[in-house]
Amino acid sequence: MPRIRGESKTAEILTLEEAVKKYMKNGIQVAFSGFTGFNRNPVAFAWEAARQGIKDLHVIDRHGSCCTWLLNAVGAIKIYETDWMGWGEMAGKLDINLNRSYLQGKVILEDYSHGAMAMRFLAGAIGAPFIPYYAPLGSDLYDVKYDALGRAGLRTGKNPKIAKKKFIQMEEPFWGDGDVVLLPAAKPDLAVIHVAQAGDKGTAKWRGVGTIDKEISFACDKVVVIAEEIVPEAEMRKYPESNQIPYFTVDAIVECPWGAFPSSVPFYYDYDAPFMRAMDAASRNESDLKKWLDEWVFGPKNWEDFLVKLGSKRMLDLRADSVTGYSTRMMRGKKPAPRMKMALSVARSGY
Amino acid sequence: MAKSIEQLMEVIDRIPDEPAKNGEFILPELMAIAVAHEVRNDDIVFAGTGLPMVGIMTANFTNAPKATLIYESGICDGKTMHVPMSVCDQRAANQSSTLGGLVDTFGYYLQQGYVTLGFLGGAAIDKYGGVNVTSIGDYYKPSHRFTGSGGNSDIGTMAKRTAFIILQEKRRFLERNDYTTTPGWWCWDHKTKEWKPKKEVWKGTPFADCGPTAVVTNMGVYRFDKDGIIYLETYHPGVTVEKIKEGCGFDLNVSMVKGETPRPTYRELFVLREFVDPELIFLPQKTDYPPAIQAIIDK
Repeated sequence: MPRIRGESKTAEILTLEEAVKKYMKNGIQVAFSGFTGFNRNPVAFAWEAARQGIKDLHVIDRHGSCCTWLLNAVGAIKIYETDWMGWGEMAGKLDINLNRSYLQGKVILEDYSHGAMAMRFLAGAIGAPFIPYYAPLGSDLYDVKYDALGRAGLRTGKNPKIAKKKFIQMEEPFWGDGDVVLLPAAKPDLAVIHVAQAGDKGTAKWRGVGTIDKEISFACDKVVVIAEEIVPEAEMRKYPESNQIPYFTVDAIVECPWGAFPSSVPFYYDYDAPFMRAMDAASRNESDLKKWLDEWVFGPKNWEDFLVKLGSKRMLDLRADSVTGYSTRMMRGKKPAPRMKMALSVARSGY
Repeated sequence: MAKSIEQLMEVIDRIPDEPAKNGEFILPELMAIAVAHEVRNDDIVFAGTGLPMVGIMTANFTNAPKATLIYESGICDGKTMHVPMSVCDQRAANQSSTLGGLVDTFGYYLQQGYVTLGFLGGAAIDKYGGVNVTSIGDYYKPSHRFTGSGGNSDIGTMAKRTAFIILQEKRRFLERNDYTTTPGWWCWDHKTKEWKPKKEVWKGTPFADCGPTAVVTNMGVYRFDKDGIIYLETYHPGVTVEKIKEGCGFDLNVSMVKGETPRPTYRELFVLREFVDPELIFLPQKTDYPPAIQAIIDK
């Protein structure tokens, strides 16, 4: 929904602790950047929120990530509107502990699909109240029986962030193209976006996939950008076509190198699959999980201290090379990555 | 001294494109190659993580060199050097045509009608090709909860053809799913509360004829008849039709069985093992080549 503003935002540069304290309030609706647990998750921000004891969050996202894994591990999530409660694909498909919380009734889960969530954020971003989308008619996602927020009595219109209906199926009224599903816009309180670079005025960019981060930035009331590096705004204006987020959407900028670990930031560092597998293993029972949290979340003094604990060997192995944007030194499977000069399918078959 | 990857590339055409013998390959390899065989040269494929991705990458070297691969995080035609662990892996974005986001892949490509083949996983499937990746039992108190749709329900209903790769057990091959995430050729019409052919529920939309066309399991390969009901097409080497019927929760149509699933050829196995997944991320182990093939590789 459009928010008519009388005056423009001015992005302020904050520390990680300050940004969490100022923007991550109990009970807000929040969306995170990236894709699954592998790409540009604002982990340091979620980690600091867990340490500050933030609770009752309504997370609205297209899938789980290292952020939702962490926040749920400390019991901070109350409502989870998503389409995929996994978090790490090949490093941990289903979020075991989130599943446990769900089965224990601690978390309300609302299911959508990937495309539907992308469309909902697109609607939120362009100020449209809803958006029509075809898929998937006939799916139980669009059976009113399976409207979890409605069943919990939360679709009364009292909460301005929860739509009065999960969806409406209707006959397409303009062209006669069958039935279509109308989806409510997503318009959360807060977007937390991890980027490669941000200018000191707030212009931000990433390399690699965009997922729905631009849409999220426009759909949310407040936007906190976590950057690997803050650079002079003039630097961002050299190749403006490679930027995605204009400064006037941004409320706060935080410089936090390695702040997306163990997910990746293309051209900065790779994801740490063994670390994620260890998180997955720890989540299998509550005592192991508590040990893991004490060691990795509540143990370190701050994020820098967390990185020191991680150690230089690990960070060296994960450092991305400047040509591919990822690391070939990290052992991901059972054998090391072969050295390659080019994509072999292209060498053989062309484009 | 082991050959470099470039030297191995020169060997491909000397490896015979003849079916390997039983025992010379493992089941995940057979399944990955069965996936590859579903891909046509002019396909635009929207694929999920895991064996679908590995199979299609193999097809880019063999039967479908020009097939385009879309990854849902926003990648259009990535040409990978190293197998991705996720659809958002920077490895998948290597040498892509364009790089965008989910609005690009689900909107501009999928809902716009460009995607000719979807390749997806599933936890359970019904006899009409409807897939459940959400929950078993009561939705609100599930005996088992899975991840939920992800892109499964979007891709599985809007791609022209969709193939699923599923682990076959009696409790996963069902007359009717507890929860239908991705509707197959028959599904609920939620407006009238009737169980109907998908063509009627989706009538008038551009997607009424889109839907499941193949299922690859650990036991066989399946297709759908004109009524939208699944039938067995081929059984994997070493698996009997009786065994397959036992691994099925409904009376499976086996009247149109063509025979054994084509075994992977030595060349396909060579591509899969040496170029697609040499890091052993999806494949559980490295399998030895028979001496005659190893001699060609070493020469």
